[in-house]
Amino acid sequence: MTLTALLTLTLPAHADQPILTLTGKVSGGHVAISRAQLEGLGWHELVTSTSVTDGPQRFRGVLMRDLLALAGAQGDSVRATALNDYVIDIPASDFDRFDVLAALYMNGEALGPRDKGPVWIVYPRDDFAELQDIRYDMRWVWQLVGLEVR
Amino acid sequence: MTPLRARFLGMGGLVVVCLGLLGLAAWHLVALERQMRISATENMIWIFGQTQAEALHLALALSDGADPAAVETRFDLLLSRLGLLDQGPQRRFLQAAGVFDVLSGWSATLLDNDPAAGGDLGALAEDVTRLTATLRGSASLAMSHEWQEQAAHLDRLGHLHRLALMAVLVAGLAGLGLALILIDRERRLMRARLDRIEAARLAHALERERELSENHRQFADLIAHQLRTPLAVIDSAMHRLTRHGATASAALIAEKAAVSREAVARLVSLSDTALMMSRLERDAIQPRLRAHDLHELAQTCVEGLARSRPADAARVTVIAPETPVTAACDLSLTSEILSNLIGNGLAYAPPESPVEVAVGADHGQVWCRISDRGPGMSAADLARAFDRFRRGAGQGSVPGSGLGLTLARHLARLQGGEVTLAPRAGGGLTATLTLPKPAP
Repeated sequence: MTLTALLTLTLPAHADQPILTLTGKVSGGHVAISRAQLEGLGWHELVTSTSVTDGPQRFRGVLMRDLLALAGAQGDSVRATALNDYVIDIPASDFDRFDVLAALYMNGEALGPRDKGPVWIVYPRDDFAELQDIRYDMRWVWQLVGLEVR
Repeated sequence: MTPLRARFLGMGGLVVVCLGLLGLAAWHLVALERQMRISATENMIWIFGQTQAEALHLALALSDGADPAAVETRFDLLLSRLGLLDQGPQRRFLQAAGVFDVLSGWSATLLDNDPAAGGDLGALAEDVTRLTATLRGSASLAMSHEWQEQAAHLDRLGHLHRLALMAVLVAGLAGLGLALILIDRERRLMRARLDRIEAARLAHALERERELSENHRQFADLIAHQLRTPLAVIDSAMHRLTRHGATASAALIAEKAAVSREAVARLVSLSDTALMMSRLERDAIQPRLRAHDLHELAQTCVEGLARSRPADAARVTVIAPETPVTAACDLSLTSEILSNLIGNGLAYAPPESPVEVAVGADHGQVWCRISDRGPGMSAADLARAFDRFRRGAGQGSVPGSGLGLTLARHLARLQGGEVTLAPRAGGGLTATLTLPKPAP
């Protein structure tokens, strides 16, 4: 059985339901992205420690820059919003300088809203000393639901 | 242990202390920098507050009888925050604050009435109310623990800071000591160097004084010796004339007058040379360098000679060059050199033998060669020909001071030139005066 087939089996039932909404400077001003659309992007893996867990964790998801390209984003920064209304501005340059993930899996398990899902913005924290800083830790938005491109 | 060795050991020790303290300061500063980094886990009050807020939101949703989707979302968010408190650094913090036990197990309790699985919302509302009260009770404990942690952290930072500052200060003092030692050392070295230079200057002055004194002694001997001959000649001539008295023939008077005049001329020449040497030794001669035609200069010298010694002058041939040869030289000094060298050629070569004077230019210099057909000089005599008071072997009978060549070379060098001697092809000696060309 191929990896893609395995992934497909573990996907939630409503693969075509939007899980992320992009607004602002994106194609048509509003793009809703579903899990099925994310499937069409290249998947990446990243092993890194986080500021709120112990030891390295294995993340799996799509690159933020691929995600923004998919929505035709044309901006300098992104205002990320979480399920609990947590809001933070992230410079778009972060996604060019680093392989920042929109992670959907941690240690092989799909991230859900009862943990830090459905989407968690993950930086390659262990690979760059400058990322081990509160200014970047604040950009690790979990339970991500909206991105406003500005 | 020698004082020098002790001194070096002391300095080495200071350097080690300095570097060690600076290293210590650097290490403390690195530690300080690392400790000053703020991490998200240090913001426990915020995480705790978020959990409380989610519990209240859920309680509110349940009391309103709101729509099930909103209740489920709030339920998920509360579970998420409780999960966060149960993880890694957060869990350790709550354990250290002594509130972990009262908060653990709440996820399982709430999941018993999971709204997504059709749980009992009334029972869930009661659980959430109890959880809210528990969180409220624990919040102050968590806050005081976090502030204590922060205060201890600040104390550590302050301690590291003071240590680094102290290390830098002490290293600065050690560095200052080192600098003072080095300055003192440099001052001593400089003084020793100056003393050496002064000693060398004094030794040089002493040597020069000794040399001058020796020269004067030799010169006095020479003058005494050289004066005797012409004076004896004059005395003898006077004696003859006196003896003949009034009967002296005109021819005899003329002969003795000529002999006396030649002797006087030699005395004058000797005193001129002595005067010139004295001026040279006092550095009183300042050459006035101008462009002069070397052939004309040689010609003039021979003409001057012709006035006093026509027979000698007749032996000298000055060969005219094809193109004019101009030298940058002092007129009177160069005339003195040429007269001297021509006079030597005439004096040391057999009577009647010719003396040739040729001028020319090559390699950026001009030259004047005076060649005679005399006995020449041995290699040993050539090597010492320019020494003061040195005269060629077997030349004692030829009148001369032994200063002529010395003087000629001195005067040539004063003008940036040189005088050399070399055997002439076919016998005899060639004296060469070289002088610089005038600047274009």
